[in-house]
Amino acid sequence: MDFTCRQQPKGVCAVRGDSQKVFREGKFRRQTMSRRARKDALAFIGFTAPNFILLGVFVFWPIVYSLFLSFFKWNMIAPKKTFIGMDNYVSLFNDPVFWQITRNTLALAVFTVLFKLGIALSLSIQLNRNPRGGSLYRAIIFSPTFTTSVAVAMVWTWIFEPTYGLFRFLFRAVGMTSPDWIHNIHWALPAVIIVLVWSGIGYDMVLFLAGLKNIPQDIYDAALVDGVTPWQNFIHITFPLLSPTTFFLTVTSFIGALKAFDIISIMTDGGPLNSSNVYVLYLYQNAFQWFKTGYASALALILFLLIMVVTLVQNRLSRRWVHY
Amino acid sequence: MKRYVLVLLIALLALSTTAVWAGAAAEKAPEGPVKIVYWRSLTGVAGEVQEELVARFNASQDKVIVESQFQGAYAEILQKLLAALAAGNLPDVVLLDSPFVALFAKDGALVSLDQFVKKDKTGFDLDDYIPGLIQDGYYDGSLYAMPVMRSTPLLYVNGDMLVEAGLPRRAPKTWDEFREFSKKVSKYNAAGEPIQLGAGFTMGQTSAHWYFQGAVYSFGGQVSDEQFNIHLTEEPAIKLATLWQDMVFKDKTAMPSNSHDDLLNRKVAMVFGSTGSMGNLLSRADFDVIPAFMPGQVQNLVPVGGSVLAMTSTDKFRQDAAWEFMKYMTSAEANSAIVIKTGYMPVSKSSMAYPETVAYFQANPVRKVAVDQLQFTRPQASVISLGKGTEILRQMIEKLLIANRDPKRVMEETSADLLKEYNDSFK
Repeated sequence: MDFTCRQQPKGVCAVRGDSQKVFREGKFRRQTMSRRARKDALAFIGFTAPNFILLGVFVFWPIVYSLFLSFFKWNMIAPKKTFIGMDNYVSLFNDPVFWQITRNTLALAVFTVLFKLGIALSLSIQLNRNPRGGSLYRAIIFSPTFTTSVAVAMVWTWIFEPTYGLFRFLFRAVGMTSPDWIHNIHWALPAVIIVLVWSGIGYDMVLFLAGLKNIPQDIYDAALVDGVTPWQNFIHITFPLLSPTTFFLTVTSFIGALKAFDIISIMTDGGPLNSSNVYVLYLYQNAFQWFKTGYASALALILFLLIMVVTLVQNRLSRRWVHY
Repeated sequence: MKRYVLVLLIALLALSTTAVWAGAAAEKAPEGPVKIVYWRSLTGVAGEVQEELVARFNASQDKVIVESQFQGAYAEILQKLLAALAAGNLPDVVLLDSPFVALFAKDGALVSLDQFVKKDKTGFDLDDYIPGLIQDGYYDGSLYAMPVMRSTPLLYVNGDMLVEAGLPRRAPKTWDEFREFSKKVSKYNAAGEPIQLGAGFTMGQTSAHWYFQGAVYSFGGQVSDEQFNIHLTEEPAIKLATLWQDMVFKDKTAMPSNSHDDLLNRKVAMVFGSTGSMGNLLSRADFDVIPAFMPGQVQNLVPVGGSVLAMTSTDKFRQDAAWEFMKYMTSAEANSAIVIKTGYMPVSKSSMAYPETVAYFQANPVRKVAVDQLQFTRPQASVISLGKGTEILRQMIEKLLIANRDPKRVMEETSADLLKEYNDSFK
């Protein structure tokens, strides 16, 4: 620009409309910002600074610092941190428990999202028909959303109890004996999934209901005239028009499930034999129970990458099925 | 423009000055009473009695004011202590789960108490403490912690259930008898599901290892010694592991358990528990609970658990104040109050001889088991103080009692894991 301007006769360059720089007397001068523009800029900084400082201190800095720590061996007590390069990452990939909990976490996320969204969607379709007492049902189904997870975990631990818990009646009804969910290698993870699904349905259902209410009635009326079946109605109208909501819930639920912690920590503490241990719990145990800060930081970084990849993939796939 | 800069500057100043003031306060010699901060743990009566003792200490003299702050369970105190170390803003006295003394002392986070013991002119006598209880306050030859709320593992027995099964109303004395009693007590329905079983084995990271350690002691072995040699593959540990596993999978007279709840719900007749739970269990059960020694096999010996007081103060004047407070909390008067309120063990000879303690045990003979067991205590296995030690032992117990894997193999794997953890994190 500068170069070309110099080739031009006086004034031509200015006409080309560089608003910040004006070609005057053979050279550029930076036009000073007007008082008003300066005021605006400062107001912008003033309003965003508190937020930015908070995010910086509590989000960005910890991320950078944990990346830094992941190259060290440190127990958080010793004054000295020992630099060990990539060792934390090497031992992480050689740690069979790491692969076990990664599998657990992905299984937990996939099944939780599938069941939770499936059940929430069918419930919201039923409730959208305004059945008698619909608002009561809605309130009941929504109630786990505002129940403390500690209470949820305690009550479900009791429900899963094989000799006096509630669930054993279901098993007895079909002539089976209830497994000892919490103390069984094969049942502990399903138990956790059931609780996560149960406690998440309400929130998803409310969002689905809002999505359903946004679908214009005249589309259904037109379909009715064309004589579609209820199933075609769902496949060709409801599901596509609900897809933004479904997409939003899939992404948030999946990330939420990857970060599952509290309920598992209380119900099984990851046991038995890590069969219900998941990523964030393992990270927490490493950092705060076993004092392996560097190792935990490496885990955190991998989780960060995992979530990023999952979200990117979901975003990419969404172009095929989400209609805004 | 200027106004924004001014506001920002003021905000920055406000932030920095608080730090400066806090720093300055720590440096200068105190006028009037020294204020110190005590981090406590435990809830219920065990928490109330600490508050009460702090209040009594504050009222008894005018040189030190202690502010007691509840910081959650043992594990949470550890986490907050880590955060405080990083921030350089430490409490003065902290209640620690006993195995963690070594971990914190090793890296210089605790103040050695030797100098205070040496210069104390008030007739303070370390020999007054019960040897088995002060022993784990030492690291590398120096004293770092004083015993305060100490407990041992006990066996809690539902006496009514034993009598119903035609057994005497007393706890089993040996592990063989423990197995025998369990067989007699167990009942099943027509479908073969258990209605009640003999014993529940405590699971989980917090205390499963503690009862296991006690049982290994009683078989004449140990989990690991002070030099971190691991003895799990030796006969006593293997014998015990096989016994527990057989009771769960062959006899089907015992199960992995949430222990206390299963005893109170009459699911099992016998569970392990801490002396510290005695008050709680005796008052909540609607049947006859017998607190008893852990079964012996070749000997009676249990690992002592519970909490100790350690000093983290960084300032000389506050350290002196902290020492006075620690002495009070472990004194005969204070300890007697703890014993009576909670069921924890007396930590010193003078506390045992304290008139109120004596009167209390005369009135409540069933609780005397805590005192009787005192002579059979020793510190916990050294591997417990490794960061991941309790977790590795938890995995071991899960492999034995849930996955039903060969005890010998399990012990070999566990020894290898513990050794690796020692080399990784402690050496």
